[in-house]
Amino acid sequence: MTTTTVGPTPGNSLLQGRQWHAYRAHLLNETRLHAREPAALIFGAILPVTAIIVMCVFPAAREPVASMGGVSVITAYTPVLILFSSSILGLTIIPGTLGTYRESGVLRRLRTTPTSPLSLLTALITIISGFALLVAGFIMGIPAVSGAGIPTHLGWFALAATSSTVCFVAMGALIASVVSNAKAAPGIGNAIAVVMWAASGMWFPRAGFPDWLRTVADLTPGGATAQLMLDASTTGSVEWQPFMVLLVWTLGSTALATRLFRWE
Amino acid sequence: MALIQVSGLTKSYGPKQVLRGIDLAVDEGEIVGILGPNGSGKTTAVECIGGLRTPDAGQIAVAGHDPRGAGAELRELLGMQLQQCRLPARIKVGEALALYSSFYTDPRPNEELLERFDLADQRGTRFVNLSGGQQQRLSVALALIGRPRVAFLDELTTGLDPSARRDIWSYLELLRNDGVTMILVTHFMEEAQYLCDRVVILSEGRIIAEGAPDEVAGSGGSQEISFDASTDIPLTELQELPAVTDVSVARGRVIVHGGEEAPQQVIAAMTQRGIPTQRLRITTPTLDDAFLSLTQHNHHEPEAPEEQ
Repeated sequence: MTTTTVGPTPGNSLLQGRQWHAYRAHLLNETRLHAREPAALIFGAILPVTAIIVMCVFPAAREPVASMGGVSVITAYTPVLILFSSSILGLTIIPGTLGTYRESGVLRRLRTTPTSPLSLLTALITIISGFALLVAGFIMGIPAVSGAGIPTHLGWFALAATSSTVCFVAMGALIASVVSNAKAAPGIGNAIAVVMWAASGMWFPRAGFPDWLRTVADLTPGGATAQLMLDASTTGSVEWQPFMVLLVWTLGSTALATRLFRWE
Repeated sequence: MALIQVSGLTKSYGPKQVLRGIDLAVDEGEIVGILGPNGSGKTTAVECIGGLRTPDAGQIAVAGHDPRGAGAELRELLGMQLQQCRLPARIKVGEALALYSSFYTDPRPNEELLERFDLADQRGTRFVNLSGGQQQRLSVALALIGRPRVAFLDELTTGLDPSARRDIWSYLELLRNDGVTMILVTHFMEEAQYLCDRVVILSEGRIIAEGAPDEVAGSGGSQEISFDASTDIPLTELQELPAVTDVSVARGRVIVHGGEEAPQQVIAAMTQRGIPTQRLRITTPTLDDAFLSLTQHNHHEPEAPEEQ
């Protein structure tokens, strides 16, 4: 007899049931552990939140300005700050956490159990996405509360912010899976974040990109996010292509992260 | 068909060959000890058998599963406690048990484990704040939480004080009664002798001895019989007894070395002559002695200069 009977149903479906239990247990456990060591999370959040608070203090920041293309400083910068916090939190937190776990032998310990990397990764993606969305909520909410207005076409804007946040977190999970060094992993995340900012037009406006560069940039999450947020803030008509770009990057990153996950 | 079947296990790390063809068969319910000096390949062997390392060559089957690419099914029935595994610093004991519990279909209740491993008072203590012994006990508890059919335990009681060690031994005996099959890696001979049905001695990547602890112990050393010296003791006659290898006198004691039959022969000879044996002591060789003599014989020139 080579298989043990573990329950009334055939082995496989019961074990898949365990993945759900494992996911929930990891969710609870990782939330607690991150709450006990919040430094990295706070670091990724504090700069953009402080920036938006400062902007809301100055009445001039609420006035439309020609150099910003006819919108106020706050309106122009809200997407930038959200992009900044989502990309930093998404691309560096999970790489740091898993890198530390890998180096200290925590992953090796988990490897001896029936849990799969997918349940741990999904739990971490859920938690960090949740936190990053909370920060994005603050960045949108503080101007709203202080009377500086909300992004026009809030629904699309919120959807864009959510999609891009989850996408960055998934990419972070991929970095965390394949880069085994605990110090290199967040560093690589940072570097990719900077590339995303470039693609979003932070250093040089997207309108000024040559056509080929614009196409390439729009195929990256950074560029796609910028496009969506710009459209949501101005015309209100968003296209489906950038959403598709984000979706593909999100699903692709998660699938690769599980496949290529390195325990050691 | 043995529950664990290993043949021709070979592994190198770069130029260094760590395992040179290990064969091992463990039947259900057996407790097998793997002993050997540092660097003999014990931990690597167990990691390969458990699927944490990929060997260069060899066939391995654990309860019919190939541990390479092991799925959840194998992990449900195999619990492993290895040396360099840790937990996140800030996790509490109770939380770690709850987390690991969720991975298995029929876990042991946390309360039972906390009691058994004497960690009930540390339920709310963070891992980093536990003593070495407590961390070790938690590690073993986590390996056994899923009611595994097979357990691999590496350096189970290293660093524990004698009473903690005994507690873990008695828990393992309970598990043995439940029919759990175990492979223990240890360098603590008393532990191997106490717990194991069979021991295997590894040296430089090869198995150099295998058998029940007493058998292996007997193969490496000799019996030692000693008693008070007096002028009428017939030393030459004792020397000539078939099982005796040497006789000497030191500090007022006669010391006789010989094989299995030596103690009986010596006592019979003395009794026949009517000479009382005062303060008689018989020491049987231990696994320690066997281990030392076997591994010294197997050891070639040292590869590195002696350390200061």
